[in-house]
Amino acid sequence: MKSLFVEGNSAMHRVSARAKLLALAALGVVLFLSTNLLLLALAVVATAAIYFSIGLPGRSALARLKPVFLTIVIVALFSLAFNPWHVAIVALLRLTALMLFAAAVTATTTIAQFIDEITLLARPLERLGLLRANDVGLAVGLVVRFVPEILDRYSAIREAHAARGIKVRPTTVLVPLVILTLRDADNIAAAIDARGVRRHLN
Amino acid sequence: MDIRFEGAGVSYGARVALAPVTLQLNEKRIGIIGLNGSGKTTFARLINGLTKPSVGRVIVNGRDTADAKAVLTDVGFIFQSPQNQIILPIVRDDIAFGLKSRGYKPAEIEAKVEAVLQRFSAAHLAERRAHELSGGELQLAALCSVLVTGPDILILDEPTNQLDLKNRGLVQRLVESLPENAIVISHDLELVADYERVLVFHEGNLVADAPAGEAIRCYREIASR
Repeated sequence: MKSLFVEGNSAMHRVSARAKLLALAALGVVLFLSTNLLLLALAVVATAAIYFSIGLPGRSALARLKPVFLTIVIVALFSLAFNPWHVAIVALLRLTALMLFAAAVTATTTIAQFIDEITLLARPLERLGLLRANDVGLAVGLVVRFVPEILDRYSAIREAHAARGIKVRPTTVLVPLVILTLRDADNIAAAIDARGVRRHLN
Repeated sequence: MDIRFEGAGVSYGARVALAPVTLQLNEKRIGIIGLNGSGKTTFARLINGLTKPSVGRVIVNGRDTADAKAVLTDVGFIFQSPQNQIILPIVRDDIAFGLKSRGYKPAEIEAKVEAVLQRFSAAHLAERRAHELSGGELQLAALCSVLVTGPDILILDEPTNQLDLKNRGLVQRLVESLPENAIVISHDLELVADYERVLVFHEGNLVADAPAGEAIRCYREIASR
């Protein structure tokens, strides 16, 4: 299984997981409070500087951002279709800055740290009887864990198409991708249960 | 180890995955063999409560597997694909993972992780990422992750599947050296050839329950039909 975590000793690596997650949440709020183009552009430059300082080679750093950035461009284009141009630019800059910082946090935080912090954050809600903190932490950790797995599966399915000379179409890729992902999810769930991680279940 | 199957079987609608079985298992090494889809894995999953019997019951060390929570403490399970067994990407994190949910303090977790790494001479794998490991190393990491919680019984589902000769030998020696009780599901007949007891499954039925030599002869006959 691959991981989005990148080993290193950058400033971001040295910051605690809790501080990074709180900073990410705060940045999200601040970015969405502002419509100042200059401020948002500066946020993009600053978060890009952080992201490209974590030790990832340039090409693979860009490759990681490609799918999310394409989605952001589509959102901005939709915004442009129905709103004045500056609204679309605001959306583009906000989401790009958020993506860059989130990518930096993900690349410098192990899944175990994610699970620990999210579990801790969810504890007060557990005390209110609303959820089980361990399950929330585990769920978030597994989402992060599965991202590279799903991308690998997608590449393997594309290669299988190419090997058989079949044109890649969304329908012929998505169906096997969903089936394989669900099968993987079942296997992981069985492994989690076999190790007694979700001990409240029976 | 004391495992009792009391008429335990599994059906999915009209399809019988495992016909009712009644037997008691308490040997140190037990092999399970059979063709693909013969019911071997279903039988093994009944032991740790991952699969619930449709009829009958399974008692492990005096506890009914209907209460999977209680049984999971006693039974460790290593799946066919160790890639799916490893939940967290870094080996040390993964080994610690099962302990955290059991409420151990950080210092206890660290000590137990170190102890299991030392026990299997696997300290060099601690900081490695699972996707960088060879097949044998992955099995070793999976073994550490499961045995760190101290189960009494270990079930290994096809532990030498997809391994080259060198890694196969490594896993075989590891399994032989375990002080824990082990139940090994395998197509690798050499792996179970010295076991005290081997069960043979065919089309959802237990068709032989005998010492290794006799059971393997039965399996070869089934496979040659």
